[in-house]
Amino acid sequence: MTEHDADGPAVSQPVAELDGVTRRYRSGDEVIDALADVDFAVEPGEMVAVIGPSGSGKSTLLNVLGLLDVPTSGTVRLDGDDVTDYDDEQRTMARRRTIGFVFQSFHLVPMLTATENVLVPTMFVRGNQRDRAEDLLRRMGLGDRLEHRPDQLSGGQRQRVAIARALVNEPRLVLADEPTGNLDQDTGRQILEEFERISTEREVGVVAVTHDDLVTEFTDRTVELIDGVVQ
Amino acid sequence: MAWLNLWRNRLRTGLATLGVVIGVVAIAAIGITGTALQTGATQQLGDLSNTVTVFPGEDNTDGIISDSTVNAIERATTGATVVPQRSEAMTISSRSESRRVTVEATSRPSALYTPAEGTIPSPMRSGVLLSREMATELGVELGQTVSIDGRSYRIVAILEPSGGFGPGGVSVVLPLDAIDRDGYDQVTVVAEDGEDAQRLADVIPAEVNEREAVVDTFTPADIQQSISGFFATLNAALLGVGSISLVVAGVSILNVMLMSVVERRAEIGVFRAVGIRRREVMRMIVAEAALLGVVGGLVGVALSLVIGYIVNAQLLGDPSLVFATRNIRFLALGFGFAVLASTLSGIYPAWKASTANPVEVLRG
Repeated sequence: MTEHDADGPAVSQPVAELDGVTRRYRSGDEVIDALADVDFAVEPGEMVAVIGPSGSGKSTLLNVLGLLDVPTSGTVRLDGDDVTDYDDEQRTMARRRTIGFVFQSFHLVPMLTATENVLVPTMFVRGNQRDRAEDLLRRMGLGDRLEHRPDQLSGGQRQRVAIARALVNEPRLVLADEPTGNLDQDTGRQILEEFERISTEREVGVVAVTHDDLVTEFTDRTVELIDGVVQ
Repeated sequence: MAWLNLWRNRLRTGLATLGVVIGVVAIAAIGITGTALQTGATQQLGDLSNTVTVFPGEDNTDGIISDSTVNAIERATTGATVVPQRSEAMTISSRSESRRVTVEATSRPSALYTPAEGTIPSPMRSGVLLSREMATELGVELGQTVSIDGRSYRIVAILEPSGGFGPGGVSVVLPLDAIDRDGYDQVTVVAEDGEDAQRLADVIPAEVNEREAVVDTFTPADIQQSISGFFATLNAALLGVGSISLVVAGVSILNVMLMSVVERRAEIGVFRAVGIRRREVMRMIVAEAALLGVVGGLVGVALSLVIGYIVNAQLLGDPSLVFATRNIRFLALGFGFAVLASTLSGIYPAWKASTANPVEVLRG
């Protein structure tokens, strides 16, 4: 969604932006560029798919966008702020406030109920977010599974719990790593519809890294990465 | 959440906790037993361990303590009760029985003995005091008369048995004049407490023996102190052993926490990804380790109380003594040490968990 100034052209700010980002690894004598001079941006309400073969740097792209990894050179911006030189503490807090993650293997805590899992990112945040957590789960169709443990849920249900967890701190950016990787096609389709809904309803930028061509049906834009270079 | 994570691996957690329990019991139960032994030994030394016995010294040619020496003793021990005594072997007879015993003669037996029946006159000028044992042997009771070396005396009191050392073990007590001699065989000085007795035991010879060792002293308080000292050393050694066992328990907790943290790498990676900071992760893991210590400590304290209860009942006949201040201190020490050791053991695994790189863990 873009906002229009009274006189001028559209004004919008990407949720997240990579500007000439390179991520270089040194291994003995070898130098590998997981990302080479990558420009990338995602707008609020936009859903972007990042595709490419294994080892193309898709995961690194996600890690850098998610402030889990720091680029060797280039600039990273989150909601307009330059976060490239943030220290671990600052990056962690930025993730808490602004970014949600969804992983291929869900990564839920086995001993906690669905609601408690959704509340994990709020563990050290002041206030009681239980209502919000339950509300999120209900909107995902899990109203009758609030107190279930992950081993009592199907793959699709677990992924939805993971999505609710990603949303509990009201992020502006959701990063999904192979979100449909462990799901059958029908369930995968349902999950992608969720993402689409989230993206438009909440004006959240969604970036999904994937092998699955199905994903591209749901996204506004597709970016292809080969050997760390945007095609 | 710390509780849930521990519960996850009940067997492992249970065994680590057991280590802590053993450590706490080692410290607290040993401490309590030591206190009980010490109290028991002290009690058996008798209630008169605040007395100083003054007897003729090695340079005393007459073998007796003179009146002037007694005066000197009184001057040296201002405020304490000074009781001169004489003793001699005599024949004591009742209507049916006769015995040859060592009789003690003193003017102030009330300062030294406690009556089980009757009252001890103060000062004592007539009558006789018998120990319960002697009264039973002679077949006499309070109020009857006995004959001692030909003279009649009425029994005015039956004495309670007193402890092992000092002026105890006496069977017959007569007024001072019953033994007609110059000087005294010994002088008993009653001090305020054991400490005062020890002080006087040094002061008396110092002041009274001008050039020769006219008198020498003895006080059960010395022995009591030696015994206390012995028990204190023994206790300290055993506590040292107990502490080592807690250190071992700490190592076992370290092991359990490390395993747990390694197993939960991915989970902790997710925590970091969703915005939980390094120090918050550390707090979580240290809290788990501390919880292990608290649970183990509580069980250990409860178990120690049970053991202490039994020990005090057997040794001292009074199980409620387990709640003596000194013992509460041991329990607190054991518990505190347990929590401390466990919490410290959690620090390294917590640090390892918090500094792990989430990127590596979450890959695939």
